[in-house]
Amino acid sequence: MKLLSGEILSNERYGDNLYRIEVFSPYICNNAQAGQFVNVKCSYDGSLDPFLRRPFAIFDIEKKFNVFSILYLLRGRGTRFLSLLEQGDMLDFAGPLGKPVDLTGAGANVLLIGGGIGIAPLHLIARIAVRIKNNVFFAAGFKDNAFLRWEKDLIRLKINYAVMTEDGSWGEKGLVSDYIWENLKTFENYDIYCCGPCDMLKTLQNIYKNKKNKVTAFLEEKMACGVGVCGGCVVRIKKGGKGFSYQKVCEDGPAFNLGEVLFD
Amino acid sequence: MTEQKSLFSDEITRSGNGINLSVKLGKIKLDNPVIACSGTFGCGVEYNNFYNTAVLGAVTTKSYSLEPMEGNPPPRIYETAAGVLNSIGLQNDGIDAFIKKHLPGAEKLGIKIILSIFGQDLREFDKIAYRILKIEDIREKITAVELNLSCPNIKKGGMAFSAVPGEVREIVGSVVNILNIPVIAKLSPNQDNIIEAAAAAREGGAQAVSIINTVVGMAVDIKTFRPGLGNILGGLSGPAIKPIALAKVYSLAREKILPVIGMGGIFNWEDALEFLVAGAGAVGIGTVNFIQYDAGKRIIEGLRNYLESRKIYDINEVIGRIRT
Repeated sequence: MKLLSGEILSNERYGDNLYRIEVFSPYICNNAQAGQFVNVKCSYDGSLDPFLRRPFAIFDIEKKFNVFSILYLLRGRGTRFLSLLEQGDMLDFAGPLGKPVDLTGAGANVLLIGGGIGIAPLHLIARIAVRIKNNVFFAAGFKDNAFLRWEKDLIRLKINYAVMTEDGSWGEKGLVSDYIWENLKTFENYDIYCCGPCDMLKTLQNIYKNKKNKVTAFLEEKMACGVGVCGGCVVRIKKGGKGFSYQKVCEDGPAFNLGEVLFD
Repeated sequence: MTEQKSLFSDEITRSGNGINLSVKLGKIKLDNPVIACSGTFGCGVEYNNFYNTAVLGAVTTKSYSLEPMEGNPPPRIYETAAGVLNSIGLQNDGIDAFIKKHLPGAEKLGIKIILSIFGQDLREFDKIAYRILKIEDIREKITAVELNLSCPNIKKGGMAFSAVPGEVREIVGSVVNILNIPVIAKLSPNQDNIIEAAAAAREGGAQAVSIINTVVGMAVDIKTFRPGLGNILGGLSGPAIKPIALAKVYSLAREKILPVIGMGGIFNWEDALEFLVAGAGAVGIGTVNFIQYDAGKRIIEGLRNYLESRKIYDINEVIGRIRT
């Protein structure tokens, strides 16, 4: 990990409140692995608002051009600041952070299940997995068609995919967890990576409770340092019979075995 | 297209350009007055990815207890205006893990360590001190031990040790008797007795006091009507508390009871200078490390440049020079 400052090559509106920012960074492109994130300063130098950095999954890496990108939803003060940055501005960030996901250990088939902005870390996994796996399938669920433009990126990966939307405006109408439930048999021999809202992860945890699939979930929690020193971003992970330990999303994660996550 | 590493080079000399940055707090000698605060910097190893953390005057470790502690339920972090509330609950993997796992890593990098410890009662402080005593060449490896006296005294209904000067005197005295390295008492701003507590720390044999720890605070999530922190109450840090910290540092330093390590909301070299002028013999930088990963280096550099520009060749000439 390093503290870096990279030039912004583009900061495009992708959908309603959805943006994609592209940053020039040979260091990230050469060192980041699947599942890692960057911690971005979302304020001008010396400004205290917003106060803390914001963690973002690395959405994509174009090694050839030394460009990595972040996909983000405009939600609060941090992402508002990001959305106002323009081509040529410098982005202050640290990375790559978090424990990488080791895809070489995964089985031959990989299923990615993303809900909303949860598709962000999975997109990079898909890109890497497609090179080393027989079969990669992406199941994604959204409220509406705000992420429609992402389909182009997905098509470029040359993988099979299914899209579900709650309002039926894109793909099939329904929840991505419904799709998984209905196709359980198809994905029987898949290793699974999922990221999305807590309710989606809880449903997937129930679906895969007694199944043999290896299910890895990306979690998020409010973060302060992002590098493992403050102990702020903990989640409860099963330990032994009934016990649990607090593990840091930034250092021990953000990927955890879904079966071991204790939700509230 | 450009990509840059952080803005400053790693070549901060500890007393470059003929300017003396070294300070003395009782028997504690530091190459410069900038110390990383406990709980915000690990043991300095992680941040060594961002700059050479051996350039800091010292790194105060996270607080270690006798046995590992799980800490408080999440959420533990809540961002506020110019600050952050936390309720980490002193999660740590215990003093033995520090000795075996963390200290060697810091030592290898040449980081000057102030070891922060806390116990649930006097006996635990003593037990930890005995474990520390077993460290080989301890005086070379540990600059000082800081006693976190803001933590709750379980035997006294959870009230902070620093709320009762008698307890401060007893714990400091006991640890000083066990260890042959300087002891610092870290006091809470949440009781109105810092002067009495500092006097008690001096009677116990402390070399310095660190003030202030975080200020008790709270947040409410108006979407859920639940507290913003899992523990309900937490500690506020960051620039929001700087004026409170400065007032406490000024009030205590002018009593000349013990050297004061001033901390609370320092964000840049100008803030650090304010604390020094108000009477702090050294300064602690905490929450800023989460935002400006290379803050320590920037602040040392900033102080040195300031002194140079004002033709002040010794930082000790600004300490406590407030004109009132």
